[in-house]
Amino acid sequence: MKTRLLAAATLLACAHVGAWAKPIAFARGTTVMAEYGAGTMNEIQAFYAPRYWWSLGASWLELNSEDGSTQRRIELARANLLAKRWNLPGAQANAFVWGGLGRATGNDFAGSTLARNVGFQADYETRRVYGAFRSDLEESRHYSHRIDTLQLGWAPYAHDYDTVATWFVVQGRRYTGDLVRGTETALLLRFFKGGVWVEAGATRDGKPQAMAMFNF
Amino acid sequence: MNFSKISIVLLGLLLSVAASATTIEMEVNGLVCAFCAQGIEKTLKGFPATDAVLISLEHRLVAVALKDGTDIGDAELRRALTEAGYTVVGIRRTDASLETLRAGVKPHG
Repeated sequence: MKTRLLAAATLLACAHVGAWAKPIAFARGTTVMAEYGAGTMNEIQAFYAPRYWWSLGASWLELNSEDGSTQRRIELARANLLAKRWNLPGAQANAFVWGGLGRATGNDFAGSTLARNVGFQADYETRRVYGAFRSDLEESRHYSHRIDTLQLGWAPYAHDYDTVATWFVVQGRRYTGDLVRGTETALLLRFFKGGVWVEAGATRDGKPQAMAMFNF
Repeated sequence: MNFSKISIVLLGLLLSVAASATTIEMEVNGLVCAFCAQGIEKTLKGFPATDAVLISLEHRLVAVALKDGTDIGDAELRRALTEAGYTVVGIRRTDASLETLRAGVKPHG
């Protein structure tokens, strides 16, 4: 038992996190996602996709600078668009764009302010490898943060619809606007089957991260 | 037997094969994850003629078992999968049951 705990702790300590799923799962599908990002970035999203190429929903995002001096809470209504999809034999690539409007509060300004968000994601995946780059711009008249995230994933075996998928994901993330200095790197262990997706890991400095997503 | 009689016999044979087809197999591009399969399954189960659906990511296969005496046209299937976000590259009909196909796509060993 002690060995297993040690192995789990070692895995978490080697890691650093955050995984981005697609903002649209499938037509007439609902996606609910919650992420705890080492205390730096916590997020809850819920979207409904009437068609496979667009979805509407809402998101709640909390950003905390690594020194604890800055905090943002951003609530948005958001629209996502699948700008382009490439369906290949045994592979798929996508380009998504999105935008949102809402309100934000922070500990360095009074009251709430109009918040804006735009972003895009480009991804490519087979059943064994995965790569995605995502960029988000969070803005108001009080702040501007760009969050760039690169993920590379590897599956030790090719899953199928009726088996559990297992992925190892390495992530690099950069924040602008004095949230985090340098590039955060992370390692995640991801599992999904059917409409349930869970992942967990840790940042390089040992902060835990976790995410759960449900599609139905 | 003259040509018209032969044609009628052949036509009858073709119609009987089509009428007895119980399963539709589709080869689909872009089928790489469980979420893809989930969306396709949801779409196909929306057809009244669908009895059951089999999806194999490894074989890029989507198969629909039909209820007795029903059918779904190729154009309708292509449209459904295109509107689900995937590309159909081939459709064929077979007498094989979904269980037979399922046994054929299971990993060996």
